[in-house]
Amino acid sequence: MDRRNFIKLTAITGTSVTLASCGNPENQLIRFVPDDDITPGIAEWKPSVCPVCQAGCAVTVRVMDADVDTVRNGQAGVVAMAVAKKLEGQPKDPISQGGLCARGQASIQITYHPDRLTQPMKRTGARGTGEFQPLTWDAAIAELVGKLDALAAAGDQKSLVWLARPRASRRAALASTFLTGFGAPAPVEYEFFNDHVLRSANLISFGREQLPTIDIARSRIVIGFGADLLGTWNSPVAQSAAYGRMRQGQPQVRGKLVQVEPRMSLTGANADEWVPAKPGTEGVLALGLAHVILANKLRPGDSGRSGAAIDGWSGGLQDYAPAQVEKITGVAAKRIERLARELVEFHPAVAVIAGAPLAHTNGLFNALAVNALNGLLGAVEQPGGVFFTPGAPKSAATRVRPDTLTTAKVLLLDDANPLFAMPAAMQVREALSKIPFIASFGSFIDDSSAFADLILPDHSFLESWVDVQPESGSIEAVSTSAGPVMKPLYQTRATADVLIEIAGKLKTPVTLPWKTAEDVSKSAASAGAATPAAPSAISHQPSAIKYAEPAFAGDAAQFPFHFLPYASQAFGDGSTAHLPWLQELPDPITSAMWSSWVELNPQTAERLNIAQGDLVDVTSPAGVVRAPAMIFPGIAPDVVAMPVGQGHEQFTRYASKRGVNPIAILAPQVVAEANTLAWAATRVRIARAGDADGSLIMFAGEMRERPQEGETR
Amino acid sequence: MRWIAVVLALGAAACGAQPAQVPSTVFTTAHRTVSDAAREFLWIRSTPQQPIPFPHKTHIAKKAECVDCHETVAKGPVAGIPSVKTCMICHSQIATDHALIKQVASYSEKGIEIPWQRVYGFTHEAHVKFNHAPHIRADVSCATCHGDVANQTVAERVVDHNMGFCVNCHKQKNAPNDCLTCHF
Repeated sequence: MDRRNFIKLTAITGTSVTLASCGNPENQLIRFVPDDDITPGIAEWKPSVCPVCQAGCAVTVRVMDADVDTVRNGQAGVVAMAVAKKLEGQPKDPISQGGLCARGQASIQITYHPDRLTQPMKRTGARGTGEFQPLTWDAAIAELVGKLDALAAAGDQKSLVWLARPRASRRAALASTFLTGFGAPAPVEYEFFNDHVLRSANLISFGREQLPTIDIARSRIVIGFGADLLGTWNSPVAQSAAYGRMRQGQPQVRGKLVQVEPRMSLTGANADEWVPAKPGTEGVLALGLAHVILANKLRPGDSGRSGAAIDGWSGGLQDYAPAQVEKITGVAAKRIERLARELVEFHPAVAVIAGAPLAHTNGLFNALAVNALNGLLGAVEQPGGVFFTPGAPKSAATRVRPDTLTTAKVLLLDDANPLFAMPAAMQVREALSKIPFIASFGSFIDDSSAFADLILPDHSFLESWVDVQPESGSIEAVSTSAGPVMKPLYQTRATADVLIEIAGKLKTPVTLPWKTAEDVSKSAASAGAATPAAPSAISHQPSAIKYAEPAFAGDAAQFPFHFLPYASQAFGDGSTAHLPWLQELPDPITSAMWSSWVELNPQTAERLNIAQGDLVDVTSPAGVVRAPAMIFPGIAPDVVAMPVGQGHEQFTRYASKRGVNPIAILAPQVVAEANTLAWAATRVRIARAGDADGSLIMFAGEMRERPQEGETR
Repeated sequence: MRWIAVVLALGAAACGAQPAQVPSTVFTTAHRTVSDAAREFLWIRSTPQQPIPFPHKTHIAKKAECVDCHETVAKGPVAGIPSVKTCMICHSQIATDHALIKQVASYSEKGIEIPWQRVYGFTHEAHVKFNHAPHIRADVSCATCHGDVANQTVAERVVDHNMGFCVNCHKQKNAPNDCLTCHF
């Protein structure tokens, strides 16, 4: 065909298509009469609370008109509605201070997700297949009420288990009141990256079973032990704002940040000094620093209660001389001496511990050691030190026990995903398969709710009353509650309303002090207004703790590497992996996205003949996962790390079967005296399993080590 | 190339009188059909066919003001095609026996908006961001841009909103003439 004929043919084809498809599509669009009077094109800003993590940032939501697809009287059409368009931090909130992290920004996609459940669902396929069919709310509630009545009739109320993701809102109080009224055990909370160890340690050291608020802004030197202050731990927005003020907010002073961790996190990358101590020895390093301060009488030696918890404190920590500490931690004695002197010189100084150091079998020791160092540095409840947010309600919830799932006859899942977030070795799949009845309140079908018999989808946070009483992040008490910013898009119901309805419909009704979800959220104001409580007295004086070597699953000869799963910047513990904005968010350190990867030191990779992107088998005593290699200079040669968050069996079109889940291969090690999973206590071996298959997707090029300033290579 | 344009134009023009069809596919994100794309490219706009021949003249003769029904014109960017709710404010009482009013009432009963067709408006490609409210605040009369609607029954596109039209007025009134005033 020559060019002329081609053009002619194109024109003729184009014309016929034009003729065939003409007509104004708007003629066909049925537009329903809207319920509200909306001024098109004019935005309103309404308050809400970010639901993604426990930090509890207050947000402002830009609300504007939009056409929403809907069905009325069996007819499909659109209706103009005022809907949420954009989230920002709330400037008046002491936590968010007008900022909002990437996960918070992306949380708007929860409301508009194409795979969001729009009505109650009943399981039709086998458990775990995710096959459901819709049913009415009346039928769904009647079914759940029937199951609960049957438990009550059998006198088996104790077999009702409420498993929730921890959240600092009044929903916890509602669940707890409901369960107590029914005669069931207190709600059980589970999150993979929990802070149980730190709370327990703070109770022993300071009499506060609470997460600390670090006054980074007024500090002159912050030493972090594994705490990803700027990335994923605790209240990253508040901590990042405070970090900004520490660096630039004080005239003539630029605060110093030292980060102790074997894998460089976002915080490590921002630090002036990165100290890779051997995993599980962070507490020893803290006591090494304390030893130098005590031995040289750099500060008054009394660190009160926090020091008393450490064996050998009063004797000046004779076992923790720098030379000895160097042997254990791998940090040079000279460096320990210098850091200890800097901590005293740059007053106020504060130490922070979180994350992996607490997830070793000796995690409690590590936490108590850092607490004692803070006591010695005079950093407790002092400007630039550690504070405890007053008024944070104490949760009635309990920690998950090995028999939590095996004894349940009716399991209610509130935003918890135990199948994804617990190691395969804990046999969650088997336990879930055996539970006679499971109901979920989730908005999506995830790994665990695919096992549910009934799903009663909650409103999104933008459609419901929300409230939060953050445990940490501000020196002042904070309590936020806000109404819905938009009308519900679908046939969902606020879980608080559903629980209240169920409570009233039981054969033996449970009396609740609230009538609607609104009442529950509004009761936050009075709950959060508590005056600061005095530190609780020690009920029994725990015996002073000593360093015990961290125990690892897998012997060092067969499994030569420490395995470090870490919270992903985008997904946290994996609960936001279904949001496409976060899937496409490049990891700030490696720039990888839409994938899983295994971080390897360049020396290790060279020794094992592994190149960037090659498939690698990571084998632990409990299992194996295969993922592409990421050659990463910011990791110790004897450590391999993997981000947590991918590898969902089921979690919408964006996250299902994408990447692998490092939690699956963890051995069920437990932190001594804290009854929680020691997720950093597994060793692995690495083997090249194949050539790069393109599953490692990176935003930018490879990373290279750059020589430090003034250093020549 | 001109030849192709003519063929396409013929095709597009033939469309105007055709009964509307539901497009089976989406051609591009900006244009649902090839026809839409071709017409927009050639600046061809069909005369809107209103579902009910709304008589502007009658309403204005009865002393109704433009803003009584186009109520968001002074508040925001869009004057707004009135909701059937607005019609029913008066017509739940007035002229309820009239055949056309019965049609209006039946839309209202079904809870469905009258599918009014837009008469004015810019194409996506024009990248024009027009905001009514500042024009109303500057006391520009509605007739300046929309013609003598008071003497029209069904609103007609009598003023050509090309760039020259806007810029001339902005110059006369010393209004900003920077590109970014209107284009984004």
